[in-house]
Amino acid sequence: MVAVWFVLRRAFWIAVTVWVVFTVSFLLMKAVPGGPFDRERALDPAIEARLKARYGLDRPLWEQYWNELRHAVRGDLGYSFRMPDLTVNQIIAQGLPISASLGLLALSFALALGLTAGVLSALARGTWLDVSLRLAATVGIALPSFVIAGLAILFFVFLIPLFPAAGWGSPRQLVLPALCLGGPYAAYIARLTRTSMLDVLSQDYIRTAYAKGLPRRRIILVHALRGALLPVVSFLGPAVAGILTGSLVIEEIFFIPGLGVHFVQAALQRDYTLAMGLVLLYTVLICVMNLLVDLAYAVLDPRVKLE
Amino acid sequence: MRNWFLLGLFALLLLASAWAVPLGTLPPADLTLCNGDEVGTLDPARATGTPEGRVLRALFEGLCSWHPKTLEPVPGVATNIYRIRDAQGRKRWACLAPDGLTYTFLLRKEARWSNGDPVTAADFVWSFRRFLHRETAPDYAYELWYIRGAEHFTLGEPRPGEPVEVELPPPPGKPSNLATRPVLQGMLVQVEQQRLPSGGSETVYHVRLERDGTVHRYVVREPAARASNAHAPELPGVEVAHWIVPSFAKTVAVRALGPHKLQIVLERPTPYFLYLMGFYPMFPVHRETIARWGQQWMMPEHFVGNGPYVLHSRRVRDRIRLVKSPTYWNRERVQLEVIDVLAVKSDTTALNMFLTGQVDWVPTVPHTVVPELIRRKMLRPGSYLGTYYYRVNVTKGPLRDVRVRRALSLALDRRQIIDTVLRAGQQPAYSFVPPVINQYLEALGHRYQVARCQQENVKLAQELLRQAGYPQGRGFPRIEILYNTSEAHQAVAELIQSQWKRHLGIDVGLRNMEWGAYLAAQREGDYHVARAGWIGDYPYPDTFLRMFHSQSANNQTGWKNARYDELVDQASREADLGRRLRLYEQAERILMDELPIIPIYYYSSLAMVRPWVRGWERNVQDVHPFHGTVDPLPDGRPGHPGIWIDRALRRRLLQGAGAW
Repeated sequence: MVAVWFVLRRAFWIAVTVWVVFTVSFLLMKAVPGGPFDRERALDPAIEARLKARYGLDRPLWEQYWNELRHAVRGDLGYSFRMPDLTVNQIIAQGLPISASLGLLALSFALALGLTAGVLSALARGTWLDVSLRLAATVGIALPSFVIAGLAILFFVFLIPLFPAAGWGSPRQLVLPALCLGGPYAAYIARLTRTSMLDVLSQDYIRTAYAKGLPRRRIILVHALRGALLPVVSFLGPAVAGILTGSLVIEEIFFIPGLGVHFVQAALQRDYTLAMGLVLLYTVLICVMNLLVDLAYAVLDPRVKLE
Repeated sequence: MRNWFLLGLFALLLLASAWAVPLGTLPPADLTLCNGDEVGTLDPARATGTPEGRVLRALFEGLCSWHPKTLEPVPGVATNIYRIRDAQGRKRWACLAPDGLTYTFLLRKEARWSNGDPVTAADFVWSFRRFLHRETAPDYAYELWYIRGAEHFTLGEPRPGEPVEVELPPPPGKPSNLATRPVLQGMLVQVEQQRLPSGGSETVYHVRLERDGTVHRYVVREPAARASNAHAPELPGVEVAHWIVPSFAKTVAVRALGPHKLQIVLERPTPYFLYLMGFYPMFPVHRETIARWGQQWMMPEHFVGNGPYVLHSRRVRDRIRLVKSPTYWNRERVQLEVIDVLAVKSDTTALNMFLTGQVDWVPTVPHTVVPELIRRKMLRPGSYLGTYYYRVNVTKGPLRDVRVRRALSLALDRRQIIDTVLRAGQQPAYSFVPPVINQYLEALGHRYQVARCQQENVKLAQELLRQAGYPQGRGFPRIEILYNTSEAHQAVAELIQSQWKRHLGIDVGLRNMEWGAYLAAQREGDYHVARAGWIGDYPYPDTFLRMFHSQSANNQTGWKNARYDELVDQASREADLGRRLRLYEQAERILMDELPIIPIYYYSSLAMVRPWVRGWERNVQDVHPFHGTVDPLPDGRPGHPGIWIDRALRRRLLQGAGAW
């Protein structure tokens, strides 16, 4: 019952947040110089006026705002300005599953690698294993993904031709982008896990567990790891939202038809409807993921109460 | 409970990963190419851009096509596209009457839409009406305004006493578009402002309808998809029309003289009109398909076209798959069964895919690797009908002085820019119209002599700057070079900055803006010097030189010259191509003396294709139709086979020691 109330209240605040983001984005888009009909070859002024009329851009700002809001509430984001064959909903419906599946693969890889490395590193604290894992994690965080992707292509496409250079469709085409996308997340998760694992291992209840004579494997995997997961879980919320909506760099380098490229292109090309659709999608995802993280906290840590 | 939660999460991840791995891929295509970017739209009337052009030339066909090598117009849907000698022995197009204005196109009876319907003159009339209609508002509308009455149809407000067309709302349940709305012919009798009972007023159009001679009263409600005022009027006896426009049937000179005979009369002579009939915005579209599916008509499941290929599938930012059309009239000259067009945006990715054998054709390559690719004999840069130039705002400070503008041009070392920054076979530009235009014009028996500005001369530049009152650049106000975000533009701007500093002693700043803001700044005249590029729409000087007419929206330099305007206007009325070119030569001379723009280099085409892709020809527009021409051509020369794959060569090269 408490949980239901909690979710309902949060849902209300999510709606408010989305509305605020909608309003601010709307105003920002109209404030930026240039518009969706700017071309290198200037349009005939009469033609441009007609185009504006078609999209209702000739109306007063408040009226445009009201129109867009009315449609957005009904889930109708309209046709894209720059890809007028398709509605924003169609574009998202095509791109989101691709970005999301790539993101989930990358995330599974990041979790598997990051957690293992973090736990090992914490257990072997101070040894050469710990040092080399930490070094790898630091490098993984510091290197931008286009460098990782470039190196990966150089090694695994050209020097040792294991994988295709780019594209989407076959399992082999997924490996490199998923690794490159997941790499920095893996590194971050490893560092988080190591720190919190070390913290947990020095707690009284772990000492008690040892004193009771529990096997070491059980202490680490059940008692310590659960506590150590909490910071990772709170990192995962926003990370999932980011990773699901795609990465500009990885998608462009590996030619993956996800949403990542649209985020930047829509803004640069002043594709008002598509940009708005993506901003709203991202906002909703972030809010929902944060809600899920809070719920997960309550499940993982008995000390946390929903209120 | 906790364990269930974790287990559930884990299962979800597993499931998602399984779902992520898509099962089954498409069988490979005969030809795969990178298209440079996502195609904005597949509606010919609204399309603009090179990637769109590549796909649309495969899906549709206009009255004429372009010869893959020379680009001269060759028969498309129309058959009488060839040149004959008239009584005086001069060559003229068979479809064009001696008045230079009236085209009569004979359409081939075997031309078919991909659903089997015949392609008729009425299809062209309807498509041109749609293209010119104010609701379509295409970028390229002005390219059909050469037709008598066309500009008024697009832009004009109908006046009383004028024949009009009243477009009524479509039957309920149909999307409102140009294909679904009933159109009534009539005469506009009166336009009045009528008071509304609730206050305010409404424009009411009185139209005498042709079908029964009665006068009806209408208010206009534009069918804007997202506007909110579509409610009915409060006035009794007044009907709603979606548009009231000048009558296309009565005032625009596009007529079907029979099912396979189309007549078009121009407002003024336009030597490149025939060429434009092969330009993708002028391709016909299928009316019933648009009526049925509205804005979704170019989805693969609904699509109907008249070109050599049909649309098999399309995924945004991924690929468009084209398959050979079973109904195209010239099927023998379509040699590739399946073509994949990939929307690869990154040049580097495209190059990786090319080098590893995933694609056969890339439209361009990253500038940094050009010398290496040339060394490996994979790339041979070609000339391209485009000029990279700096636009000068002649209303700002010292740039008002022509001596300063000339000094800036004289102090440029264009060779150095090409050799150190670009390194991709570009040529230094001293004129605005690229001389390569003659590759096309000479096929028609003409030649355009470009007007050049002076070559580098630092001494003269310093002298001119001194005369302008800035000896050794002293007292010269700081100016800025504006460019849009791009490494190449930045590198060019930095080099020019240092050349001007070294040769003239003037300080120049750099101002980098992203695309939209960069365009806005130029339009509003908020810049000193801005980088720009212009690719000719058609291989005639008009596309370049009309830009700097004082009335042109593309001028954006603040430069005005009455003599220049006069020459350009005179040229655009001249029927004889030779005399027309002479007038443009004079106009360009003025442009190059006054220098509101400083030409820097002519673009080069950096397209790369694999050796087994045959029938792929270099030409000045970098246009490569997949299909061939009629064979033989009407004047007896052999036709062109179109693009084909030399399978034996491919097998040999692929078995060979990794040369490719």
